[in-house]
Amino acid sequence: MAASISGYTFSSVCYHSANSNSDHEGFLLGEVRQEETLSISDSQISSSEFLHIVEVHNHEPCAQLFSFYDYAGKVNEENLNRILKDRRKNVIGWYRFRRNTQQQMSFREQVIHKQLTNILGIPDLVFLLFSFISTANSSTHALEYVLFRPNRSRYNQRISLSIPNLGNTSQQEYKVSSVPNTSKNYASVIKEHGAEFFDKDGVIKDIRAIFQVYSALQDKVQAVCAEVDQSERVKEKIQEEVKKLKEEISLRKRITAAEERRHQESLNTENHSLQDDSALSDSSSPPSLTRVLLQSPPLEVSLDWPPNSTALPLYPAAPAPPPAPPSAILLPRPQAVGSPGHPSPGLGLGNGDGSSSDSLNRQAIGQEDQLEEEEEEEDEDEDSSEYENLVSERLQSPSLTDTAVSLGRPAALWPDGDTHSSGGSS
Amino acid sequence: MNSLSPEVALSRISPELRPLLCSVVRNGRVGLDSTNCLRITDLKTGCTSLTPGPCCDRFKLHIPYAGETLKWDIIFNARDPELPPDFIFGEDAEFLPEPSELPHLVAWDAGDPDCLLQLVKELLQQYHQYQCQRLRDSSRLLFEYDSLLEDPNYGRSMEIYAGRKNSWTGEFSARFLLKLPVDFSNIPIYLLKDTALDPGEDVALLSVSFEDAEATQVFPKLFLSPSIEHALGGPSALHIPAFPSGGCLIDYVPQVCQLLTNKVQYVIQGYHKRREYIAAFLSHFGMGVVEYDAVGFTKLTLLLMWKDFCFLVHVDLPLYFPRDQPTLTFQSIYHFTSSGQLYSQVQKSYPYSPRWDGNEMAKRAKAYFKSFIPQFQEGAFANGKL
Repeated sequence: MAASISGYTFSSVCYHSANSNSDHEGFLLGEVRQEETLSISDSQISSSEFLHIVEVHNHEPCAQLFSFYDYAGKVNEENLNRILKDRRKNVIGWYRFRRNTQQQMSFREQVIHKQLTNILGIPDLVFLLFSFISTANSSTHALEYVLFRPNRSRYNQRISLSIPNLGNTSQQEYKVSSVPNTSKNYASVIKEHGAEFFDKDGVIKDIRAIFQVYSALQDKVQAVCAEVDQSERVKEKIQEEVKKLKEEISLRKRITAAEERRHQESLNTENHSLQDDSALSDSSSPPSLTRVLLQSPPLEVSLDWPPNSTALPLYPAAPAPPPAPPSAILLPRPQAVGSPGHPSPGLGLGNGDGSSSDSLNRQAIGQEDQLEEEEEEEDEDEDSSEYENLVSERLQSPSLTDTAVSLGRPAALWPDGDTHSSGGSS
Repeated sequence: MNSLSPEVALSRISPELRPLLCSVVRNGRVGLDSTNCLRITDLKTGCTSLTPGPCCDRFKLHIPYAGETLKWDIIFNARDPELPPDFIFGEDAEFLPEPSELPHLVAWDAGDPDCLLQLVKELLQQYHQYQCQRLRDSSRLLFEYDSLLEDPNYGRSMEIYAGRKNSWTGEFSARFLLKLPVDFSNIPIYLLKDTALDPGEDVALLSVSFEDAEATQVFPKLFLSPSIEHALGGPSALHIPAFPSGGCLIDYVPQVCQLLTNKVQYVIQGYHKRREYIAAFLSHFGMGVVEYDAVGFTKLTLLLMWKDFCFLVHVDLPLYFPRDQPTLTFQSIYHFTSSGQLYSQVQKSYPYSPRWDGNEMAKRAKAYFKSFIPQFQEGAFANGKL
């Protein structure tokens, strides 16, 4: 059992007591509650502890001795009610103050306590005893207080009474007491001015406003979530398509590579017999062009050649078969991240492998433009350095370009499905 | 223990409470052991320390009871002197008398100086009841108590102190204090007036301590009021037989009582006998009597002459005369010893019988003197010088 008394109540009792010129007594008002502590630990299943807590909120001093009992110690219930009035139900104990006596319940106190227990119907009525000791020369006075619960067994009667915040508050936290404020004045002021701060439910208004902001934010977040969800789905779909297209591209590359190999082999044998038949080579160029076209993945950063294709260099550094130059022209520009003509690789367009249809599109469009431009302006002069080699190669073999243009380009390269035939191709 | 003399205590107590305390201090005899007065210690005040004195209103009262001293706190309020006091019963925290059994508390009258004393007596009665209740822890001791209670001689004047269980052995101990119904009224007054203080009531108390519940360790002790002790011959009067093992109080106490009664009888008898003896000597020796103790009849001096030889005879009668023989001291009036005293000879054994009456003793004494004197005379001439 634990007991506590608020500091102001304690000082009020002391004040009343110390100022009386004889013994002094009164009643303690407050509440008793039971606290149950459930503790769960790894070593044992939850154990619960019960703690009886007595809290003293207030006190009712008696104006004089023997005010509610007679010489024999018999309690007069009428007088008791007159003293307590409507606070009778809040009584949790009573107290007595006597100077220079022992800290032990006296004969009459025990008699009265028994009767009060029965009359007030409180089985665990407590008794607070104050004793005041002064030294002989009145230089030191000590106020001692002991809280008894006499209705318990003889050896368990004293309870420690704690006064919250009476101590070293720099080391302990300042405890807020749970003592309700019973002051009438306070209650009336709060009632009068409370409407400015509290709404009809007794909740502080600011709290409600904050809650509203919070719920608005929550709604927005919910909406954004929905949008994100949708866009994610779209992106997922597009990614699927890209993946499919890539697979097709690689498939076709493999097929053309195989064909090329066969062709190369047959070409080699033909070359040995007909060495300056350029038409053949020319005629072979379109397929090689296309092959080249097929071979060139529209990559931005990393160029991924199909492994079994003949390694045709982008830029004809070595004397290679004729298809090399035109292939150079039609090769897409190596895309650098953040290149001016392109949007920054945002939503998944920046992947090396999975460069999406957009870049393809652009590539295609670029190529289209190139090709168209090439036809119209033979010596197109591009400023960008990326086109240096291409320009030079274009000059070298315009005829090839023409023929390339005239041939049908694989429609699959251009997702829009159009097979462009640049104007002017014959 | 700062025990205060009654006067000091009275001077410090609040004036309104003084009469109550006065009767306690001056006349306060409660309980069987009335030779010890109630004592007051630890006078304190319940007023603020700025109150001018005297204003003490609470004190500790020491009450002798069953061989123990009870220390009860009595708490008044100087500002409300008409209110009855409160009590703290010291270590007997479980003692809670029923207020209805305390008429002087229920009808407390502060104007009656004896009220407090009466209240203390009533409380003591209740305390006695409480102790008797505690005897129920031991059936043996309860039996002792009940058996004594039934006997009207002892039942009404008994104090029981059922002490705490011995914390080492868990043993139960108790003390019975009994007032022995011995009649001391016939003891001659002279024997009693040697004490300087007011002796109070003449009482003989027997205290029997049981150190264990099975009554295997029993220590009896006799207490006599000082005058009685003196009358019966000093500390030797306190010797009593040991408690027989296996015996019980109802047998032992009458035994002690009887012993004491016999002693008293002897003493009384002795007085009368001595008086008779002296009277007989007076009548026999007439003018020969120099002086005699006319109050206690313990001494007699004779001046006798035999063949022109005068001598003194001092007769000392013992306490337990006639059981004990009187001592005769012959003294020569002429001769001195070397130390300057008169030559004398003491005779303790001479023909004597306790069954003789006074006359007979006087006659025999006379005869003895005649037979002894020549011897004495010779001795005086031989050993003494003129």
